[in-house]
Amino acid sequence: MKNLFRPALLLAAGSLALASCKKDVENTPVTPAAQAQTVNSLSAAGTTSSTGQPIAAKHYTFFSLADNKQIAYTDSNTTKWDVAFRGTTILINGGASGPGQGGAQVYTGLFADLITAPTTGYNVDAAATKAIPTGSGNGWYSYSSTTNVVTPIAGRVLAIRTALGKYAKLEIQSYYQNAPAAPTAANPSGYYTFRYVYQPNGTSLK
Amino acid sequence: MLPLALLAGPALAQKAGRPLPADTLRRRRLDEVVVTATRTEKSLTDVAIPVSVVGAKQIKSMGSLRLGDVLREQTGLSLVSDHGQGIQLQGLNSEYTLILVDGEPLIGRTAGTLDLTRVAVGNIQRVEVVKGPASALWGSDALAGVVNIITQKPQPGLSGGLRARYGSNRTADLSATLNAGGERAGLTLFGNRYSSAGYTLQPESGAATVPPFASYTGQSRFTYSLSERTKFSLSGRYFIENQASTAPTTNEAGLTANVTLKSRQTDFNLNPSLTHRFGGDKFFGSARLYYSRYHTQEDYTYAADGRYFDATYFTQTFLRPEVQLDYTPRPNQTLTLGGGYQRQAVAATRYDERQLMQNGYGYAQYDWTPFSRLNLVAGVRYDGPSQYAGQLSPKLAARYQLRPWLALRGSVGRGYRAPDFRQLYLNFSNPTVGYSVFGTGQVQAKVAQLAQQGQLATDPTTGQAIIYQSALDQAGSLTTESSVATNVGFLLEPKLNNPDLGYRLTVNAFRNDLSNLIETTTVALKKNGQSVFSYRNVTRAYTQGLELENSLQLPYGFTVGAGYQYLIAKDKSVVESLEAGQVFRRDPATLQTERVRTADYGGLFNRSRHTWNAKVFYENQPRGLTASVRAIYRGRYGFADTNANTILDADNEYVSGYLLLNVAASKTLGPWLSLQAGVDNLTGYTDPAYISTLAGRLWYASLAIELGKKPVARTL
Repeated sequence: MKNLFRPALLLAAGSLALASCKKDVENTPVTPAAQAQTVNSLSAAGTTSSTGQPIAAKHYTFFSLADNKQIAYTDSNTTKWDVAFRGTTILINGGASGPGQGGAQVYTGLFADLITAPTTGYNVDAAATKAIPTGSGNGWYSYSSTTNVVTPIAGRVLAIRTALGKYAKLEIQSYYQNAPAAPTAANPSGYYTFRYVYQPNGTSLK
Repeated sequence: MLPLALLAGPALAQKAGRPLPADTLRRRRLDEVVVTATRTEKSLTDVAIPVSVVGAKQIKSMGSLRLGDVLREQTGLSLVSDHGQGIQLQGLNSEYTLILVDGEPLIGRTAGTLDLTRVAVGNIQRVEVVKGPASALWGSDALAGVVNIITQKPQPGLSGGLRARYGSNRTADLSATLNAGGERAGLTLFGNRYSSAGYTLQPESGAATVPPFASYTGQSRFTYSLSERTKFSLSGRYFIENQASTAPTTNEAGLTANVTLKSRQTDFNLNPSLTHRFGGDKFFGSARLYYSRYHTQEDYTYAADGRYFDATYFTQTFLRPEVQLDYTPRPNQTLTLGGGYQRQAVAATRYDERQLMQNGYGYAQYDWTPFSRLNLVAGVRYDGPSQYAGQLSPKLAARYQLRPWLALRGSVGRGYRAPDFRQLYLNFSNPTVGYSVFGTGQVQAKVAQLAQQGQLATDPTTGQAIIYQSALDQAGSLTTESSVATNVGFLLEPKLNNPDLGYRLTVNAFRNDLSNLIETTTVALKKNGQSVFSYRNVTRAYTQGLELENSLQLPYGFTVGAGYQYLIAKDKSVVESLEAGQVFRRDPATLQTERVRTADYGGLFNRSRHTWNAKVFYENQPRGLTASVRAIYRGRYGFADTNANTILDADNEYVSGYLLLNVAASKTLGPWLSLQAGVDNLTGYTDPAYISTLAGRLWYASLAIELGKKPVARTL
């Protein structure tokens, strides 16, 4: 049913685009209602054992880009959430991770430069490999073995297809609580500060 | 035989009707002989490759105690600190420079650095620095160049000396030398004690920057002439350093307590050699054996009750027999053939078992002066090491005397550095942080073992261990790092009619293209969230620059020197990404991201684009007075990435440039006593956050007694 619905949406988007072309002449473009949001220090942090060993959080932290809010982990088997975080791993609601249509690809460039969501090329979470690759330098972050600091790589933008097949772009800006300018290994980690643009209607991510 | 070749040159030129270079005699008089460039004796101005020499007189006048003090004031060399004091040469890290004492390598590097504070300079006759790859003669590690410390040889007569020095940070240095030379036999003895209370730049850390230490060096050489043509020499060196410090340390349980570290380093070497001249002086053969052992022991105990915390040790041995034959069929040709076998072993806490590396090698060099103005040197060396592929290192160098006052020189060669024991065999798990590092020789087995023991992180859905297979495969096929380098320059030495005046300008442009540089890589993820690291060859980089060195000899005993190096050092893949517009940076405060322009790339970290030095030496022999003022500038250099792209591209990623001003003066009181006083780092410059080697202003005063001066000195 969802698949039947999608062409209709695309058509609608197409007609909007046409409409906007017409209205350009009148200098009052109708831009699709893309929603730009910023999320500060969303916790995906684990705990520390009594012996000082870091323990990964028990559950992922689930988040809805559509609603800009955290979703209870008990809803993990629904399409209510789009992305989920635990430690440095990010899940997308689709494939092996959830019942949604979600997928992702890593775009190298400026957040502002990704003005149209790609419609193809999305990776879907599999059991072993994630749509957003894990490991230092592979996906969204780099890890320094000398400072033990995780740094989101500048210029890595996550192009995301959401659980319901909408498009979004997301840029992670900090992995540390309250996004300190010069984090050290002593700063509480696993706190995501990111910004994103969610497009409920079409592919424009302006 | 080489002086013969040199004399023959002008004679031939005269016959051909060309004017005899008028400065030849004077130059000959001023000239120093070097041995590192060609492994034969050759005049410094006649070598075809860049070499600089620091003599004993200059070392003494600078008031230097350790090798690092001497090298940091030389053009083109920067003192860098990474697990000890090392030097950067032509923009390459200290692991790429071979450090020799009388032609034999010092061993015992930590993370690639051979700590230069291990070498006392009280008995050094001169230090030769060869710039550019010398693997064609010296093999592995001579990729950036070679530093060869030439110690005093026995002189005729009986002489000796005592020198005591005391200065800031309760730094005390005591040296004694003895020389005895007879008809056939000669002996030198050198003893040194060097100690300091160390210093603390960041008291809030609770740890000393340099903890108190005391070290002892004993060195001796015995020579014996078996005949006019056959000479025997035996030299030995022993070094020991003890150091103790207490610092807050976090244990495996995450608890922090004060832990005391007591460490001891010892370094021993022995070097018998035999030389023989034969065949009407056409042949000169030498056979030498070198044995060296380096050992460290570190004991960590809780400061409160002395309980055991940790203990580590490291033992490296090196054994090398080597032979060399120089054949001079005509005065203008010398063929050098050499070969040897070396065997190195390491046993350490961080290695599973005693590891062994062997290497058989041979080298050949042809030094040819087809006509008086031109000198060509071609060399090649083959190393057949046991752990990796054979290495062929060729080199070609030429020198052309364009005018009597101007010589051009150029060289092209290959340098290489073999993976060291650490990169091949390390087996280390950090007890406090929890990561592991494995040498490439065993990383595959270790990762498999960790997976089997369930110590690796697993994918929650499949239950499979997280292993980065491509990186693991690369680690399994580790090979040598290598470079191709070009050096081109000239040597200008105008003939001046006043014997009190002299000027020499040396200019050298260099380019090193490096490939297969080794870096650490993550090969797997552990359950505790930490990584398993190993090594792989990836980085391609280049360094290039220009070096200028001026030396001006003035009347009244003044000598002025000025040197400058311009340096560019870049990672080639970073340059490619920048050109493709694929590198970005994030302002750490605003979190905004922007594209990095190619022009913003500052190159490899820890390299200064500009370094210079200016020195004035003064000597008044009749009054027994010497003085020197030396200014050494190191321009700003990259320290660490702060804006999320791992490269050097922003102003706040640099350490500020700084100037060191060192002064020293000495006065002879009577025939055997002299005094010296000086201040290093007169302005007291420090940068506690970024430069651990600058302790601030350091004053010192010393007293020297010289007995039974050598006859050589009297004739001067």
